Amino acid sequence: MNAIIFSAVFGVLLMFSSFLFQNKSTQRNIAIVAIVLLLLANFAEQFGIWRIQVNNHGMLHFSSFGLLFNSIAIGITGLYFLLSGKDIEAIDSGSPADYYALIFFILCGVAVSSAYNSLLMLFIGIEIISIPLYILTGSDKRNLKSNEAALKYFLMGSFSTGIMLMGITLIYGAKATFNIDQITEMVHPGREAWFNAGLLLLLISLAFKVSAAPFHFWTPDVYDGAPTVFTSFMATIVKAAVFVAFIRLYATVFSASKYDWRLILSIIVAATLFIGNITAIFQQSVKRMLAYSSIAQAGFMLFALYAYNGISKEGLILYTFGYSVATVGIFAVLGRMKDYTFEGFNGLARTQPILAATTSIFLLSLAGIPLTIGFFSKYYMLAAAVKNGGHLWLVFFAILCAVVSVYYYFRVIQSMYFKTGDADTPFVTPLFKWTLVAMAAIVILLGLFPNLLLQYLYF
Amino acid sequence: MSITEILFWFLTVLAIGSALMVIVSKNPVYSVIFLILTFFAISGHYLLLNAQFLFIVNLIVYAGAIMVLFLYVLMLINLNADAEPMKNKWLKIAGTVAGGCFLLVMVAALRTVDTKGITAQVGGGDIGLIETLGKTLFSEYVVPFEVSSVLFLSAMVGAVVLGKK
Repeated sequence: MNAIIFSAVFGVLLMFSSFLFQNKSTQRNIAIVAIVLLLLANFAEQFGIWRIQVNNHGMLHFSSFGLLFNSIAIGITGLYFLLSGKDIEAIDSGSPADYYALIFFILCGVAVSSAYNSLLMLFIGIEIISIPLYILTGSDKRNLKSNEAALKYFLMGSFSTGIMLMGITLIYGAKATFNIDQITEMVHPGREAWFNAGLLLLLISLAFKVSAAPFHFWTPDVYDGAPTVFTSFMATIVKAAVFVAFIRLYATVFSASKYDWRLILSIIVAATLFIGNITAIFQQSVKRMLAYSSIAQAGFMLFALYAYNGISKEGLILYTFGYSVATVGIFAVLGRMKDYTFEGFNGLARTQPILAATTSIFLLSLAGIPLTIGFFSKYYMLAAAVKNGGHLWLVFFAILCAVVSVYYYFRVIQSMYFKTGDADTPFVTPLFKWTLVAMAAIVILLGLFPNLLLQYLYF
Repeated sequence: MSITEILFWFLTVLAIGSALMVIVSKNPVYSVIFLILTFFAISGHYLLLNAQFLFIVNLIVYAGAIMVLFLYVLMLINLNADAEPMKNKWLKIAGTVAGGCFLLVMVAALRTVDTKGITAQVGGGDIGLIETLGKTLFSEYVVPFEVSSVLFLSAMVGAVVLGKK
C-alpha cells in the first residue's frame, strides 16, 4: 500500500511544483528526491518494517513478488530520471514537473497492477498506466509524428480497454464476483463457456498492452513517434508492469478454467518472436529497431506465462530487470544522438568511448550473451519451459530467434567500433557517464550472480 | 404478458435497433442521434431494475453531456464526401470475416450456457438506490473508488499539458 499512496501523493506534489518553482533543475531535483523516498517507502513495506494499514476488503493482495517488482520499477525510474532528466527538460512545451507528475501517476498504476486481487483493480491499474502514457506520447506537440502516434495509441488503447471490460463482464456473469480468490473457488458447471469467452477477451486485451504478435501493430509507430525519453519509459517499466499483472492473472484466473491455454499462448509466443526478430533486421533507424526488438523481447517474457512455475517467476523478475536497465541505457544514449540511423552511430567509440562501451554491454545483454544478466534471464525462461515439458519445439524456436537477434544488435556495435565516422553528441555530463557505468556494472554483476536479486523473492 | 415484460421487450428492440442504425446510417449526425436513443433505451432498462441513480446518471452523463459534445464536434469539423478517406475493399472483407468469426465464437459460447438461477429482480429490491450504492461504495469498494481519483487526476493533468501553448 505504501507505494500506491506515496506515488499518488508525490505526483500531486510535483503537479504543484510545476507552478511553485519555475526553475527546471529544481523540479528535477524534487522528482529525484521524491523517487528516492518512494523507493525507501516501498523497501519499508517489502522488508516488513513499516506499512500503511488499509482495510481493502480483499481488493489488493501484497506478495513478495509484487513488492520486489515495485522496488525494481521504482529503482529503474530513478536511474531513468538521472539519465534522461535533461531530455525531459528539452521538450519545449510545458514544464517538466508535469511530465514527472504523470510518471509518478504511472508508478501508482504499476503498484496497483502488481498487487490487484480483483478484476476491478486490474482494470483501474491498467488504465492509470495507459492514460498518462497517451499524453506523454503526444507531448511533443509541434511534431506531427508525435501527434499521430498519440492519437493512434489512444484509439487503439481505448479499443483494447473496451475488449478487456467486455471480458471482465463475461467473467462476472459466469462467476458473479470480481474477486480473484472467489473466481478460482466458485464453480458453475453450466457457465464454463461463458467464463472461457471472457478469458479469451482478457487475453487479447492484455496481449495488446504488452504488444504480443497479432496485436503488435501499434508498437513501432507509437514507439517511433513518441519523444525518445518517453519511448524509453513505456518500452521498459510499463511493459514489465503489464507482464506482472498478466502473470498473476494467468496463474490464478486462467488456471481456474478447464481449457488448456498453452496452445493459444504457444502460438502467440512463436508469432511474437518471429515477427519481432525478422522485422527488426530490416530497420534502418535504431529507434525503430529497438521498437521491434522490444516486441521480440516480449516474446521471451511471454515464456513466463506459457510455462508458469517457480523458475518462470524468478525468470520474469530477472528478465524485467535486465531488459529495463539495458533498454533505458540504450535509449538514453540514443536520445543524445543527432542521427537515429545506424550510420549515425559510426565512430562513436572514438568520440565517446565510455558511451560506446556501456552501450555495447547493454546490447550484449539484450542479445543474451553470457556474463550479462540477459543471458541468465533468457536461460531461466527457457529452463522453465523445459521443466514443464511439452511443446519443446518452442524452446528451439526461441533459441533460433535469439541467434537472429544477435545480428541486429551487433550491427550497432559494428557501427560504433569498426566504422569510421564522426558520431556527434552534445556535451555529456559526468553524472550521465557515471550513471551509465553503474548500470553496466549492475548488468555484469547480476550476470555473474543473479541470486543477488532473486534472494529478495523469498522474504 | 405483464406491463414490465412489454416494456422490457420494447426497450430491448429499441436499443438493438437504434444501435444497428448507428452503424448503418451514412450521415454521422444521424448516427449520434441514434446513439442518444440507444442510451435512453438502456437507461430505461436500469429503471426496470429499480436502479434509479444509475438511470439518471446515465442520462445526464452519456445522453446529456458526452453526446452533446459529440454533436458539437461533428458540426465543427468539415464532413464532406471528399474528405472521406479511401476505404480498402480487402480491409472491409477482412474486417467482416473477423467480426463474423467473433460473433460465431460468442454465439457458440453463450448458446450452451445454463442461465437458470440467474434472474434479475425486477421492479423491486434496493440495490440500485442511492443509499445502498453510497454505503457499498464507501465500505466494500472504497479502495477502487479512491484509487480511481488518481486516474481522473492524471487525465486532468494531461488535458492541461496538452492544452497549454
